[in-house]
Amino acid sequence: MPTDKSEVLQGTLDLMILKTLHALGPLHGFGIARRIEQLSEDVLTLNEGTVYTSLLRLQQKNWIASEWGQSENNRRARFYNITRRGLKQLALETENWERISAVISRVLALEVKA
Amino acid sequence: MTDRILIFFAKLKAVFGQSKDDTAFSEEVNAHLDLLSEQFERQGMSPAEATQAARRQFGNLTLLTQRRKEARTTMFFSNLARDLKYGVRQLVKTPVFTIVCVLTLALGVGANTAVFSVMHAVLMKMLPVHDASKVVYVHTTGFPAGAHNTGDEATSFSYATYRELREHSGLEEVIGFIPMSSSGKAPVRVGTAPEEAAGDMVSGNYFSGLGVGVELGRGFVQKDEDDHAATTVISENFWTTHYSRNPNVIGKTLFIKSHPFTIVGVAAKRFEGTEGRLPLDFWIPLQSHPDFNAWGNPAEDGTYLTIPQFWCMRLMARIPAGVSTDQALAKAQGIFQQAAYLGIAQKRAGERIPQLSFLPAKQFDSQDDTFARSLKTLMAMVGLVLLIAICNVVMLLMSRNANRQREFSIRLALGAGRRVIARQLLTESFLLVSLGGAAAWIFALAATRALGAWARIDSNLQPDSVVLWFTLAILLLLAIVFGLAPLRAAMSSGPDMALRSSAAASQTTSQKTRAGNVIIVTQVAMCVTLLVGAGLLLGTLRNLMNIPLGQKTEGVLVFGVHPQHVKSKEESIAFFVNLQQRLRSIPGVESVSFASNRPGSGWSSNNGGLLVDGHKPNGAEPEQAYYRQNNVGSDFFRTMGVPIAQGRDFSDADSSSATQVVIVNETFAKKYLGTLNAAGHILTNTRGLHPRLIIGVVKDHKYTGITEEPRPMRWVVFTQGDLENQLDVEMRVKGDPMQMLPTVRTFMQQIDPDMPLLEPMAQSEVFQQSISQQIMFARLAGCFGVLAIILIATGLYGTLSYRVSKRSAEIGVRMALGAQRSQIVWMVLRGSLLLTAIGVAIGIPFAMAATMGLKNSLYGVKPLDLTSYLVAIVGVAVVALTASGLPARRAGSVDPSSALRAD
Repeated sequence: MPTDKSEVLQGTLDLMILKTLHALGPLHGFGIARRIEQLSEDVLTLNEGTVYTSLLRLQQKNWIASEWGQSENNRRARFYNITRRGLKQLALETENWERISAVISRVLALEVKA
Repeated sequence: MTDRILIFFAKLKAVFGQSKDDTAFSEEVNAHLDLLSEQFERQGMSPAEATQAARRQFGNLTLLTQRRKEARTTMFFSNLARDLKYGVRQLVKTPVFTIVCVLTLALGVGANTAVFSVMHAVLMKMLPVHDASKVVYVHTTGFPAGAHNTGDEATSFSYATYRELREHSGLEEVIGFIPMSSSGKAPVRVGTAPEEAAGDMVSGNYFSGLGVGVELGRGFVQKDEDDHAATTVISENFWTTHYSRNPNVIGKTLFIKSHPFTIVGVAAKRFEGTEGRLPLDFWIPLQSHPDFNAWGNPAEDGTYLTIPQFWCMRLMARIPAGVSTDQALAKAQGIFQQAAYLGIAQKRAGERIPQLSFLPAKQFDSQDDTFARSLKTLMAMVGLVLLIAICNVVMLLMSRNANRQREFSIRLALGAGRRVIARQLLTESFLLVSLGGAAAWIFALAATRALGAWARIDSNLQPDSVVLWFTLAILLLLAIVFGLAPLRAAMSSGPDMALRSSAAASQTTSQKTRAGNVIIVTQVAMCVTLLVGAGLLLGTLRNLMNIPLGQKTEGVLVFGVHPQHVKSKEESIAFFVNLQQRLRSIPGVESVSFASNRPGSGWSSNNGGLLVDGHKPNGAEPEQAYYRQNNVGSDFFRTMGVPIAQGRDFSDADSSSATQVVIVNETFAKKYLGTLNAAGHILTNTRGLHPRLIIGVVKDHKYTGITEEPRPMRWVVFTQGDLENQLDVEMRVKGDPMQMLPTVRTFMQQIDPDMPLLEPMAQSEVFQQSISQQIMFARLAGCFGVLAIILIATGLYGTLSYRVSKRSAEIGVRMALGAQRSQIVWMVLRGSLLLTAIGVAIGIPFAMAATMGLKNSLYGVKPLDLTSYLVAIVGVAVVALTASGLPARRAGSVDPSSALRAD
């Protein structure tokens, strides 16, 4: 495994999936995995199976809902979409993330005193 | 927070349809893998490579599936299901243990539930009336001199007092009610067959004032009382049994004492009237017809409405809102003390003026202290039984789970958490307690019915929701105790135990043995207490049963007869004399007589005031010469089997026109004449009127009941007494009196088809019933004693067997080293005897303290009765010896070589 890839941060996968669903509308698990892979530009490694663990978690919290439909290759697939609760949560998490990443960026930007 | 709840519900929902989710998930994942490998194929991989790459990129599918299984639903349920399955398997594997535990619990908890249920109904339950806290029973300390009463002195008021209290006392409602007869019942007829039904004659505000609703129709209104309307409200039960809940019952006619009454309503379901142990079938408004005089008394001189000195009416009241009971009582007291003397010429000097009191509107008007005390004692006894039962189950559980120590240590060694083991133990305990609890509830339902029958309470005692909560609380407590008690033993064995041999593991730590010892000693102590109590009560019962009645009650049949439409004294005498003649002609009947108060039933006429031959009775003040009286028929003493000391029995010749005669008992003769030779003397009232010639003296014998002390007593033949509209027929027959009943019934129906036999019984049974409470009390105490003994026996046996089996290796070593069989047996026996001795030593002072509380329930036995104590001690010792004998023998027959080879 190439060493320049980072593990997905615990908890960030949920946020990424929420955002993906928000941006692209209803998607199946495969689609979500592709989209994240694409966006991460091979920076993140993803065991695609963990997407499903995350999807179950989000569903239990009622942030996303699912229904069966046809996939591109005409297979039965489960399509997930974001719920109203999920949207609210996404806004909240996004704000949280930005605040924290801003803090971390500021901390990392500290210059070493001579 | 909401997230957590949502997750919980999502998981809960997922408990169902787990396999559906499994298929759906695998379909979803397979689709994903296919898409992924298709993509890889498009990028130029061979199909095989693509599939592999797809799997690699997807990650560990098995792990993922497992994670999903764990995450999608709460593990609590699947764990619980697993624990339950395992627990059931454990219980099934040891059927004897399970059965013993369940039965022990059923008896222990069931007995408690039953006694609590009766106690709750009798002592605590309120009448099902609106806002019962504002409703009271009205009691009085007595009635003024110059008045007379029927019914209980404490609950009888005159009609005049009722009116005054109702109008002027400031109480919101004053509700009056009068039983139809001394038995509370009256002859009624729905179709053609006459029967008896319990009823009260009540004031117009009875239903509205108490706030009791109706199932159908209406309750009474004031106009019903004012018009003495011929209307009736029937009970829900009567409606069910006699009209099959027909909604068209309103307007139908119910014949009561041969008078037609129109049914206007059916009372609310749970309301059974205000007569305590007698549930009522019907209510009618206060009546003015002489047939409906209070308590079914003859109305020769008028009825309860016209005689202001006739105290016969029971009262209840509703306290106005915003007024305390004490304030209301204070206000009513003054009115009452004036009203009480209405119709009485003047107050006697120094007379004790009756005092009013208010008692809470419980289901049972609390007059009968002895019953309440008996119930509390019973509750204490079943409490002890329950404690013993708990100890037993705990010991059984501990020894069984100690046998499983190896299992627990292996589980610990394999990585089970302590929490998991605790949960397992608790689950098993809940399972056991649930089984026991279910059995206990069934047992309690039957036991409550039996208790009610023995206590002669007809009203509903069945466990209600309060009782259910009580039982559930006990069960929950038990489940926790039973789950946690063996926990320490299970935990104390670390995982290393799994590696040790069982012989090494068998060494019981002294700490563990000590815990068991404490339980055994406690059990023995409680058992001694229970046995002493049971012994004293059984002694009391024996004494009561052996009290000579002074008469031969066997072979006597008794039943009441209430001729309808008898108006005058002449008609009554003619009817009963004729009846006597005709009954004598039945084959197998030896003699027939009458009594106005049924001997043994507790009823009596109590009178006072007499002169002997015109003088003071043997130096006593004439007014203070109290005596009991009964009006009877000819041949009375021959029929009842009472020996005549002097003179003769009443005969048919003692008619109303013949010389007025009287028969007295020995106590009367000794007390008021100073001699047993009383025949020939003449008794008059204090003014020298109504002379009666004493024609005989009879031996003292019991009149009102078995426990009464001899009192001055006299008998007058009914033809020479007041009008009697109801008499009990006493009939001496050959053989079993109850066998004669059908013949008599047909015979009586020929005389008058509208006349039921009132409470037909064997005369001996009437006397038995006078001590039915004591009999019940003693029998139950005996049962509990036996139960305790059985529990102790099983407990000791179980524990000792277990200990011996654990020590078999040690015993083997001892024997190999030369110990004799007898020495081993003695070693085991000595241990249990020592424990028993300590238990007895602790139990005796405990029993002494406890039996002091029993003092009032004993008859002819002292609380410190030596025999009872000795029997209890010997009983426990014998049981302990027997229970330890078998394990001891087994210990003696341990084969040293096999015991040592066991591991």
